[in-house]
Amino acid sequence: MRRLDSKIPSGPLESKWDRHRFSEKLVSPNNKRKLTVIVVGTGLAGASAASTLGQLGYHVECFCFHDSPRRAHSIAAQGGINAAKNYQDDGDSVGRLFYDTIKGGDFRSREANVYRLAQVSTQIIDQCVALGIPFAREYGGQLANRSFGGVQVSRTFYCRGQTGQQLLLGAYSALCWQIERGQVTMHPRTELLDLILVDGQARGIVARDLVTGHISAHTAHAVVLATGGYSNVYYLSTNASGCNVTATYRAWKHGASFANPCFTQIHPTAIPPGDAHQAKLTLMSESLRNDGRLWVPRAPSDYRSPGDIPSADRDYFLERRYPRFGNLAPRDIASRAVKVVCDEGRGVGPGGQGVYLDFSDVVEQQGLEVVRERYGNLFDMYHRITGEDAHQVPMRIYPAPHYTMGGLWVDYNLMSTVPGLFVIGEANFADHGANRLGASSLMQGLADGYFILPYTIGHYLATAKLPSIPDDHADAREAMRLVAARIHRLLAVQGRRTAAMFHRELGTLLWNHCGMSRNEGGLTSALRSIPTLREEFWREVMVPGSGESFNQELEYAGRVADYLEFAELLCHDALHRHESCGAHFREEYQTEDGEPRRDDGRFAYVAAWEYREGAVPILHKEPLAFEFVPPTMRSYQ
Amino acid sequence: MKFTLKIWRQNGPHERGQFVTYEANEVSPGMSFLEMLDGVNQRLLTQGEEPVAFEQDCREGICGSCSLVINGIPHGPDQGITTCQLYMRRFSDGARITIEPWRARAFPILKDLVVDRSALDRIMQAGGYISVNTGGAVDGNVLLIGKDQAETAMDAASCIGCGACVAACKNASAMLFVAAKVSHLATLPQGRPERASRVSAMLEAMDREGFGTCGNQSECEAVCPKSIPVRFIANLNREYLRAGIVESGLPSESQSPYAESS
Amino acid sequence: MVRLFSHFQSSVGKKMVIALTGLGLVAYVVFHMLGNLQLFEGPQALNKYAAFLRDIPILLWTVRIGLLSLVVVHIGLAIQLSMRNRRARSVEYTIHRYRQASIASRTMTISGIVLLVFVGFHLLHLTAGVIDLGFSERLDSEGHRDVYGKVVHAFQNPFIVIIYLAGQLGLGLHLSHAISSSLQTMGLERAALNRLLQGLGVAIGLLVVLGNIAIILGVFLGIVH
Repeated sequence: MRRLDSKIPSGPLESKWDRHRFSEKLVSPNNKRKLTVIVVGTGLAGASAASTLGQLGYHVECFCFHDSPRRAHSIAAQGGINAAKNYQDDGDSVGRLFYDTIKGGDFRSREANVYRLAQVSTQIIDQCVALGIPFAREYGGQLANRSFGGVQVSRTFYCRGQTGQQLLLGAYSALCWQIERGQVTMHPRTELLDLILVDGQARGIVARDLVTGHISAHTAHAVVLATGGYSNVYYLSTNASGCNVTATYRAWKHGASFANPCFTQIHPTAIPPGDAHQAKLTLMSESLRNDGRLWVPRAPSDYRSPGDIPSADRDYFLERRYPRFGNLAPRDIASRAVKVVCDEGRGVGPGGQGVYLDFSDVVEQQGLEVVRERYGNLFDMYHRITGEDAHQVPMRIYPAPHYTMGGLWVDYNLMSTVPGLFVIGEANFADHGANRLGASSLMQGLADGYFILPYTIGHYLATAKLPSIPDDHADAREAMRLVAARIHRLLAVQGRRTAAMFHRELGTLLWNHCGMSRNEGGLTSALRSIPTLREEFWREVMVPGSGESFNQELEYAGRVADYLEFAELLCHDALHRHESCGAHFREEYQTEDGEPRRDDGRFAYVAAWEYREGAVPILHKEPLAFEFVPPTMRSYQ
Repeated sequence: MKFTLKIWRQNGPHERGQFVTYEANEVSPGMSFLEMLDGVNQRLLTQGEEPVAFEQDCREGICGSCSLVINGIPHGPDQGITTCQLYMRRFSDGARITIEPWRARAFPILKDLVVDRSALDRIMQAGGYISVNTGGAVDGNVLLIGKDQAETAMDAASCIGCGACVAACKNASAMLFVAAKVSHLATLPQGRPERASRVSAMLEAMDREGFGTCGNQSECEAVCPKSIPVRFIANLNREYLRAGIVESGLPSESQSPYAESS
Repeated sequence: MVRLFSHFQSSVGKKMVIALTGLGLVAYVVFHMLGNLQLFEGPQALNKYAAFLRDIPILLWTVRIGLLSLVVVHIGLAIQLSMRNRRARSVEYTIHRYRQASIASRTMTISGIVLLVFVGFHLLHLTAGVIDLGFSERLDSEGHRDVYGKVVHAFQNPFIVIIYLAGQLGLGLHLSHAISSSLQTMGLERAALNRLLQGLGVAIGLLVVLGNIAIILGVFLGIVH
């Protein structure tokens, strides 16, 4: 049994990080020049890490599958970034941000990591201002804040509805500087297809040039994965279509433990799927729930148009079930409530997948102008996508997979169970527990990339034995051979079904059995169906063209092949966790009024899964101790 | 709905391309333009043919990947959106739609509708940043920045780097792209210390990449999915003129922005 | 200063030189139009004015050489940049639709060529008098060269009038984009000021063209004779 050493420093929470940094070994400037670090992914975490490592003097090889590092999906984050600045003097503090994050994560994250995240959050804002990020300002010139995600303080910094874009462009500009200085070598349109391990250490990657199809090995002294989350395993999600699990899944197969894969966040306010051809779900800002009221008809199969349904026949289900929070209940709770009414056959719109988000009351009370001013751009977006005018008929919304709290297991130093393999941003599991709060993912990505990894990786590089290896090392050659063989295998099938067909089928399967609510029967049946689907994939998939050219279908099929394996891991984790916590809701474990029942006695641990070829993965447990915040039940009723 | 699509197909940068006509059947008005193309590609795949290569990712108008010239207009007939935000109800049933890639010498075609826009990255690498190291930044509120100033910077900073400005410009000029970045950083006090060297370096890189010059026709502004106005190009010109005067050694460059506010 | 000079070697720098030389030429056409409007004051005024201009040869030739060099630089750089622009899009679109570019902005090269041809004709016609030799040496009653008579004679000819009107069309088209474009190139963009200057640009262009047309038609319609 593998021992999971989280390497959490002892002592008081407030000084753990400071003392840890002091005890870390440093790499001398002369030696940094001789060390190469590979960073895969250029979202907030990857770009900030690559630029900072470059600045420190390491040589960085940075990879992304996009045409430019600026296109990573961090760019689509809208709301903002949290930081415990307490600029509003409304009682915020590092301690409170820490507490909110632990509680929001339903007590399934590490105290030490979360406290460190809250600590460095303030530095992130300063750094971003210095980089020229045009945060919203007050008339007096100070940074503006808003309240976000149901917390009681205003600690969210924002750039209109494009905070992720601006933060990413800031990190990208820092990266550009290091590229110009020659510290970072950028490899755009290059996709990681495997890791290279030498003597058990992560020493490089195998990558495919997506333009020429050329497969090459890149060796280094350490590898950093910043490759994001896996929401796209559900096929329809709010993620960009390129987001994939390949890098983290390949690492898992090489021995990196995968932690809490079943913690997948479903965001309540997306535009419902329209028809079978839909390729993506569009997120609507959560702020709509500030003024809109969610309802469905009281009776199933009530096909009257919403205006003809009198209020006596309407069920304002969030207000009914959660009178204290009403329409502002947290993401996981709201999403589940929507699912419950739709499962009862009371959903509205095509396929009964949707509930009304109605603004008519606020329009009546405050006037159309006010609503237009607040949400005009969102109403426009809704109109463009659905062709409906939300001023006339209520909006329809439906939950959508959005973010994955699970990811590769890392210790306090953000290193996985494979020495030399570091994992940052959404790709790791560390900070959000079972549910992520709004405006916290940007914070975590930048915390990892700018302020945590650059310290902790130094200690590894200073202390590990890292003999120099040539690019054509035997292990590298073998990894390349395997990658080429896999590509060849994909192309050789020449079947009749497309990768998208398999992906959609897998997504539907997971959404039904391992989505917003899960039960033993569904999960076991999914675990039976997935291998069959996978076999069909390898028998019937159609990938045209060759491996030695620009071949988007080949890229996609490779990613779908990994989803088809990864989905099993996801279901195993969901099946084993006999409790409901955060985003993970097991129908067997709920109270009489349908609220989740957490089981701290048996499940207050991180579930880290180890890969076993051809067998059920092995579960390792990292117990979670709550020394500073005693676990309480979340109640929003 | 049904459509007849005339799509540019080209195997590689140095190969000859040509239009190929495809039929798109069973299109619903609620499909996005890219979903309509997905449908065409799925059909091609089941027939064992190579699908049409085009670029896309976020499908919500922010990543800047999608890049199609639809009936002669980059990002299609609607203003202020990207191709992925265009829906088929915008077209009349049975319409003929011509789809071409961005065309510019600086954006060589990689395959079909996919072009290489790395020239824009190289312009950014030439100076589109503020040279500050990670760590050691002063408190974010030390520097007071007026709301208007912050809003102007944000207007410019909202560029998604899609390259539609280049595609629409008669001269394939990247001036709006450069203007957006230069204006964003020159508007903010943090960007002031390097403003002269930045604008010169970025424009030099733009020339090197083979983009054309600005004809002040404002076509770029009209197709920009973020509606970035051409007044930022005037701002870029002024920055360049100013840089010329500064670099010739007449007045000295302003000190650190933090100096004046302390 | 060397650095400043090299600053103008870039494409934006060259655009600025084109803008500045263009603005210089605009100043000249305004001056030219205003001077010629003296036609409406009668032969004496115009002929005296013409004689005044010729009385100081240094001034005359300085202006002529200055104008010529402005034109040469303006056109030379414009050719350079349009060659660059042509290269920047090696393959044209099959369909290309404009969204908001004005007709004037799309025809700058054509209107520029029309203007150049017209100016050549105009110089040969009224300045050098090569085209119509009859009037070049005639003197008026005060012993000045009879410019007035020459102009009146010229614009009674409908062919000449058509050529001149075509020239004015070219000038008007060129100026209506050129003035505001030059201001944009020189970096004037303060919103309120910009609108004012843009308006002024159109006004100046219109005024020059209208003034010139007034002279041409004034003669042709027999208001001046």
